[in-house]
Amino acid sequence: MGHSSSEPHVTPLSVYFTVFSSLIVLTFVTVGVSELGLPATLSIIVAMAVALVKATLVATWFMHLIHDTKLNISLFLASLWFMSIFFIFTTFDMASRGNVMKMSDTFEFRQQRADNNVRAGNVVVPEGIVDLKDIESGAHTASH
Amino acid sequence: MSSENANQKHYHAFFFHTMAQQNSSHKLGMWAFLVQELLFFSGLFMAYIAMRYFYPETFSEVQTRNLLSIPMGFTNTIVLLTSSLTMALAVREAQLIPVEDNEEARTHRKRMIQLLVVTAVLACVFLVIKYFEYSHKLHAGTLPGRFYHFAEWPVFTDSDGSILGAIRPDGSIDVTSAPHIFFSLYFVATGTHGLHVVIGVGVILWLALRAKRGEFNKEHHSAVENVGLYWHLVDLIWIFLFPLMYLVK
Repeated sequence: MGHSSSEPHVTPLSVYFTVFSSLIVLTFVTVGVSELGLPATLSIIVAMAVALVKATLVATWFMHLIHDTKLNISLFLASLWFMSIFFIFTTFDMASRGNVMKMSDTFEFRQQRADNNVRAGNVVVPEGIVDLKDIESGAHTASH
Repeated sequence: MSSENANQKHYHAFFFHTMAQQNSSHKLGMWAFLVQELLFFSGLFMAYIAMRYFYPETFSEVQTRNLLSIPMGFTNTIVLLTSSLTMALAVREAQLIPVEDNEEARTHRKRMIQLLVVTAVLACVFLVIKYFEYSHKLHAGTLPGRFYHFAEWPVFTDSDGSILGAIRPDGSIDVTSAPHIFFSLYFVATGTHGLHVVIGVGVILWLALRAKRGEFNKEHHSAVENVGLYWHLVDLIWIFLFPLMYLVK
């Protein structure tokens, strides 16, 4: 915790190198896991868990939070608290949006409007695609 | 604050009682700024969550099509982590510089300057790799919003120039497929981060110049500590950006 004198707390070199090698190993882990072909939700959870461990290592040792004053630690934790409020409540909003959403905000509505645009010829065919058959023949692979 | 005289014991401004008070005030101020930075970046992360929530297939497809170079992103992660280590070691050297300007002080100061220069060089390597990634995207047309014109994942635009959605194989539109939205996020998030790296190079070199003038020692180096904190924060943000943008399918 806080020092009353102006002498800084010097972290041993070995600590810095251990933290650094852990960060490198975890970077390999996160890239390796992404190649496993896990389902999307699981893959996000694993990637964020690894990132959180890495962030904790950086904040604790590189940013010296472990030797910092209670005031600075509280400030940092308070920002995490407000960030989680921001993330969680906004996600609640998105998840419950279907109950109150106007028709004009839905994908269905946008799809109909886009289809009408295509039928009316009110779309710009991208450069390089002379004929839409090009897409079908596989020269250009559109989604799905 | 007079800092030209390295032998002077007290470097604190007249409105501080002690060095310790000045150092802790500097650090508190820096943390207040960093906390603000975290909240600022959380807006971009929330935009990512929202867009991924509304366009899950688009985000997966960007990864399965390998539109971002994982080797380049991975190299940049390693480069940034290494620069974070050299920055931490530079701060450590500053903490070891004795107040008396002796041989030991000069050794630590020299090592500190070397580590700062290495950190700045690594930051430039990061930016050069980022430049190659950006220029590749500029040529391929994987650009944000209405600038998007990637031929292998073509989109229909209406007569106003706004993108309606990707073109299906049968020539119809899929409004749930929106690569231009992913690339808007990609460029804003990595661009804002890149701007922080550019500013980081500047302040790190500023520290190296001040160190060369013999300004820092174990009692007087809060600028070094604070730039170190800033640089670790830049690293911290990249730790989240890299998996979210390049890896998660």
